[in-house]
Amino acid sequence: MKYKNKYIRNFNGLLMSAMAALVGMLFVSASIHAESMPASGAAATPETPAAVAATPETAPVAPAPEASAAPAPEVAAAPSGPQPLEERLQLCAGCHNPDGNSVIPENPKLAGLNVKYLNRQLKDFKSGDRTSPIMSSIIPMVDESEFKALAQYFSEQKRSDGATDKPDLAAQGKQIFDEGIIGSAVPACSGCHNEDGSGTDKYPRLNGQNSVYVVNQLTNFKSGERKNDPKAVMQTVAKRMTEQEIAAVAEYVTTLKEAQQ
Amino acid sequence: MKTILSMCVALLLPLQATVAQAEDAYTPKVYGKKGYVWDEMTPERVEVLKMTGDPVKGKEAFRGCRGCHKADAAGVREGVYPRLSGQHASVLIKQITEIRAGIRLNPKMLPFVEDPAIAVDEIADIAAYLNSVESLRENGKGPDDMSARGKKLYTDNKCFTCHGKNGEGDAAKAFPVLAAQHYGYLMREMKLIETGARGNSHPDMVKAIAKFSQSDREAVSDYLSRLPDYRTLNAVPATK
Repeated sequence: MKYKNKYIRNFNGLLMSAMAALVGMLFVSASIHAESMPASGAAATPETPAAVAATPETAPVAPAPEASAAPAPEVAAAPSGPQPLEERLQLCAGCHNPDGNSVIPENPKLAGLNVKYLNRQLKDFKSGDRTSPIMSSIIPMVDESEFKALAQYFSEQKRSDGATDKPDLAAQGKQIFDEGIIGSAVPACSGCHNEDGSGTDKYPRLNGQNSVYVVNQLTNFKSGERKNDPKAVMQTVAKRMTEQEIAAVAEYVTTLKEAQQ
Repeated sequence: MKTILSMCVALLLPLQATVAQAEDAYTPKVYGKKGYVWDEMTPERVEVLKMTGDPVKGKEAFRGCRGCHKADAAGVREGVYPRLSGQHASVLIKQITEIRAGIRLNPKMLPFVEDPAIAVDEIADIAAYLNSVESLRENGKGPDDMSARGKKLYTDNKCFTCHGKNGEGDAAKAFPVLAAQHYGYLMREMKLIETGARGNSHPDMVKAIAKFSQSDREAVSDYLSRLPDYRTLNAVPATK
């Protein structure tokens, strides 16, 4: 077949997710049975009630014999109501640095990202449209009314430059970033993100971004784990890229410097 | 358990039907065979043709296309991606809506052009923008100048009836501009028209190409690639 059938691939995805859903249903029903049994036997392990209380989704469903103890940790974990920006920033600074130029390779630099883009990501983390092991546990503490000020703050910070110790890999990445990959119909990144990686409100700033973070995001777009790209365009592009190409382009992005205005 | 199994079957049945349709969508559509449609006024196409495209909005909407077709819509010299600058809005609207409808087969481009990657009104805007934009880079020509033989073939086979004496196409009938298109792109599309892999080829085009040898195709493509941008031919700005 000359043309890869995208619908077939979608179908496989659907089939897999349908199967996963079935497995999930079986698992849930099994676990409900398992949970109800020790409860009736009154020999529950000490961890069980605590674990149930920690996950708010399961709390109302599962029978909680010690329900009176459940609300306490929840209140402690999430401060009630919005917090002043300065205090809230301390929470963000732990991972993203006070000026938004994260020095931890896995964490993104937020400095200089477009305000609309930042706002959308915060909303997506809140709604669950975007997930991350860390952000998904942090975001319930932040009130939605705080997003605008947080996005504004980080968008106004100056993005720091990055550096690479793999210039050859970065050079390969430049080719992909500027020209795309013709054989596998990968568009040039510069088309949407601009040649200097400065981005727009729809397409995020990439210059100086931590390469490990970029690799992780492209990998998640490729696998479909991240799917909050507005028009699924990034998922399409990432699916057409190999791991090596992803590594190369991420390495180049780190070295990009914003063009002088 | 039985309930779960029957739910499984219920889930799979409609999916089976989707696959059958999907396979159909990428089977080459050969002239004279079932499923072949060369031109269709789909409701979407009718809707877009009624709109007045805004080239300024179109320039921004085209951002998502620039990764392949480049910022000046010049495409790629080798012809992997066509030059779109100066193409008639009516042609661009036909092609985009027909790709979205699965009438023209273009699996590589489809994810970037289907809803919601491009909204309906953005089609009109992009078409207006591309019709007015000027490509700064030169297009790809054939390896040797075969334009004299190409011109004779173009004339003898009356290609000008649809594509115009200067390769300027026909905006009213949605026949494309061919002048200054990349040689490589013209060669590839003739192949796709021949095999039906393009999907929406005009029946007369299918017949005309059937008569062309490989070297005839090379000569005609080379001739067209060497024609100047039709908009430069008269001082009067081209209408759409």
